[in-house]
Formats: sequence, C-alpha cells, structure tokens
Amino acid sequence: MKIRIACCLVVALVVTSFTPKPSPAANDAKITVLNPRGILPPIQRIPMAERLNSLEGKTIYIIDTKFARTRDFVETLHEVLQEKFPKTTWILRDKRGNYQVDDPDLWKEIKAKGHGVIMGIGH
Amino acid sequence: MGVPTVPVITQSFDELVTSIAYKKGIPGMRMVFTPHPVTDRPPDICRRYIEGKDPVSGKPMIDVIVSGLTQPVAAEDKQTGLIARPPRPRLLEPMTAEKLDQYFLDNDYTDGFPIVLPTEEKVAAMLKATSHRPDEMVGKMRPSDPHEAWEYTVEMVAVNAVMAGAKPEYFPAILAMASTGVTSLFSSTSSFARMAVFNGPIAKEIKMNSGIGAMGPFSHANSTIGRAWTLISKNLGGSGKPGETYLGSQGTPLNFSNICFPEAESELPKGWSPLHVQKGFKPSDSVVSLFSGWSLNNVAWFSSMPIHDVIRGWLEHFFSTSVSQATFILDPIVAKDIAAAGFATKEAYADYLVKNTGTPAWLYWQTRQNELKKAKEGVEPFAGYLKLGDNGVIPVSRFGRGRGKNRSGIEIIVTGGSTNAYWFGGDFSHVTSSSIDKWR
Repeated sequence: MKIRIACCLVVALVVTSFTPKPSPAANDAKITVLNPRGILPPIQRIPMAERLNSLEGKTIYIIDTKFARTRDFVETLHEVLQEKFPKTTWILRDKRGNYQVDDPDLWKEIKAKGHGVIMGIGH
Repeated sequence: MGVPTVPVITQSFDELVTSIAYKKGIPGMRMVFTPHPVTDRPPDICRRYIEGKDPVSGKPMIDVIVSGLTQPVAAEDKQTGLIARPPRPRLLEPMTAEKLDQYFLDNDYTDGFPIVLPTEEKVAAMLKATSHRPDEMVGKMRPSDPHEAWEYTVEMVAVNAVMAGAKPEYFPAILAMASTGVTSLFSSTSSFARMAVFNGPIAKEIKMNSGIGAMGPFSHANSTIGRAWTLISKNLGGSGKPGETYLGSQGTPLNFSNICFPEAESELPKGWSPLHVQKGFKPSDSVVSLFSGWSLNNVAWFSSMPIHDVIRGWLEHFFSTSVSQATFILDPIVAKDIAAAGFATKEAYADYLVKNTGTPAWLYWQTRQNELKKAKEGVEPFAGYLKLGDNGVIPVSRFGRGRGKNRSGIEIIVTGGSTNAYWFGGDFSHVTSSSIDKWR
C-alpha cells in the first residue's frame, strides 16, 4: 500500500513539474486592439438670440407641445404668468401635430408678432 | 428663430437636455426645470410646482423663466463655427488583456458581459468574410430622432462583431443589420425591445437554430449576432447611456441579444410564404427583418376551442404599450393547425384576426374621446357601443392599420421545434428588411 502511495506521489510530482504554466511575462504582454467607437459628427454652433431688456409691454408665446395629459401644467403656467406680469401679453398656443412634429408657420408668426417663447413640456 | 426662448423641462431629463443642447450647438441654452412628472397632475399641484423652486438650479422657477428671457447673452453663447469633437484613434493604447477588459468596461463599450478583445488579427479575420472595403461607410445610427447620428465603416462593424464573439461567417448578416441604421437600444421612456428574424439560405449556412429552443440561448449564431446588434448600437450608434441616450424607465432584458432567430421555412405549411418573401424578396435571398416592440407572451391553451380562435380571443383582449400592432411567432405545430383550419396563407389568417377581433370597451373609450362625446349625444353607432358597458367588446378592430407590405398590422412568423403547440403573441411591428447577400 505504502509503495502504491509513494508511486502515485512520484507520478504527480513528475506531471506537475512538466505541466506548462503561463509565464508572468505572457500575462503582462501588452496587446493592441481597435477602437470600437463610431465617428461623431461635428457640432455647428448656433448663436443664442439677444435677450429682452424687460418683459413689460412685450408679447411672450407659451407653446404647448401637447405631450399627453400635461395640459393642466401649461394652462396653469399661463395663469400664473398673467397674474405676476400683467403688463406682459402672454399668448398660449398649441404647436401643430404631436410633440415630434415641426411647426414652421407658428415659428413665423412668433417671429413676426412675439418677443419671446416659453416651450413646454413632456412627461 | 432668432427669438429668445426658454424650454420648460421636467427634472428627470436634466442630463438628456443638457447633452442634446450641446450636440445641437447651443451649449449655453437657458433651461427651466420643474419637478417630475407633470402628467396627470391637477392644477393645484401644477401651481405649487410653478410657484416653487426649479429643482435643478434651486432658484424660484418664475425667476429662472424671467432671467432666461432677459439676462444678456454671454459672448461665448453668441459664437458661431464648429465645436471640436475628441479625436478618434483607430487603435487604442496598448495594454495588458486584463487592463483592456477593464478599460472597455469603464468606458461603457460593452453590455456588461465579458467581450472578445478586438485585436488586429481577429478584426482582419472578420473582414475577410465580406468583399466590402474596411473603410467603406456602412451607415448612420442614432438613439432616437432628436439625437445626433454617428457614422461607421465596415471595419468598425467588424470590431463590434468580434467583441460580441461572432464568427467571421456571420459578418455579412451583422453588416446587413448595421446598414439599416436601426438601433437596438431605442431611447424612449418606454423600454423598447427589438427582434431580428432571418430568412433564406444564410440560416443554414451559419447554423442558426430555428428548431427546439430557437429563441433561447442555444445557438452561437443566434446569440452572438443578436448581441452584436446591441454592441453596434452602443458603440457605433451612440445609444445606451442611461439618462442621456437611453431613457427606458425599467429597461428590458430582451435588449441583451434582441430576440434573434431564423424562421423555420422548411416547417411552413404549404402555401404560407416565408417572411422575406412577404416583404418582396426572392425565396433564394438571404434577408434579415427587424422588428420593434416591447413585449411577448408565450402561450399554450389546451381546450376544445380551435387554436386559431384561441389566438383571436387572446388578441382581442391583449393590452400593452401599443394597442394597434401585433406579431405572432408560431411553433410549426400551431401554424399547421391554423392552415388545416382553412387559412391557406399567413395573410388570410391575419385578415381573419383583423376582421374578427373587437376592442374591449374600456380601451376603446380611452383612446377615442371624440367618439365618447358623440356617444353621450346619442350619435350611432357610438351610443350603441356605450350601452355595452365597460366589460363589453366593441366591434371595431385595433389592428387594421398596416404599413407598406404589411397588409394588416399583424405579422406571422413560424419558428420552433414542434415539441408542443406553443406560440408567442406580442406588440412587435416590422421596421425594415435588409439584404444579407449585398454584404457578402
């Protein structure tokens, strides 16, 4: 029995000493990989419009983008602004279509008749 | 427009709108924030929000509106010209494999699972599977409409295909998906899921699974092609940064590999066309068809009712994020039973479903305020519908509005191993189909 155990130990030692082990150098080797990211487009800056000296005597449009079930918020905003700034004309208007649809006619009207815009709201 | 403007936004979208304003070229945009959400908030709560503080700046909301319209614009916000983006090196800085794994995780290049590092050798092997040049532009992709689109080349798609663990022979299929520009990580507060259905010789060529467990994690091709779509969406389509380019409130586990499987064409009942043929391709074409939706139910219902009417009943009462589109994925057993009941084509069964499904009354009235008004005024047929009560079924189908070659708004696909009469039903709809052969 003792001889068999001794033989097994000898075999195990021999096998262990001849099993290749990863060298520390292999683990430390630096590799080069490709960048997985795509190409980002350039950003064209848009200058901001000059601001107003004051709201008094001005016409400000409040544009409802008509996100579902947010009408109470937009109407309340209109009410509060009318109460706090009675010398300003506050016009509440719906934008055409849903919140993703452009409305160039409305922008044209605002540019012709308005001095500022408050745009809202989603969620 | 050239008119001073301030948007009012709910607090949850601070990061999103700041990022979008920058990418649209107005980094100094004045924004006003209100507590989130405002949907369904009554006027008294809305007033409290409006008269309270902007939760982002901490200043009174009204003051932020006024200063946004009246405070002079800083010189830097009057500038024109281009904002430089960070340079994009083709190769990353050499590192050990362990450090690269961490680098990819830290930079959010992965889906959270380990990836195969895209070495030059592995990417070159992937590129050999297509005749297209590495620098050829494949397409543009964006998280959703308001976001900027990123562009990508054949080589960039190959990098992500390697990362997903795909074999080179899958590459034309992955290029076909990438060429559509459809992101798998669509940014909406609802958590969209996507599906990719393969047809034609490609499925057998690359050993995709359309048999037992077709939609599960049992095929290297199904799994890694689906995974590649998500990595492409993140890394080439700019999607998938929660709060900025991904807003799905709960997210969906379906995004990991995007329900990617082939149709079991050899198991289709006689007369039923494969999906790609329904979309205008030849049977010998290899095609990937992309779908968008949210959810799927997996159902078997053993009863004396024929299966085509079990499905009809399920569809009538199915309620999900979308209420006007549906896709069925039928095991071949189910497809053959439906065909045996007299439906000679997929289209015939889809038409039957449209014609024979009504709308639960509560759902009908929720989406038709004008009709409800008419009903209360005694106008028929709406007044009659109202008499059916909330538990009634109104004889108007929700599924009649199809797009393009999709005639009914209902899609039918067959896949599975015929071990039982199961089927999936859900709110997916067809987005586009793309030739794989073009990318060989």
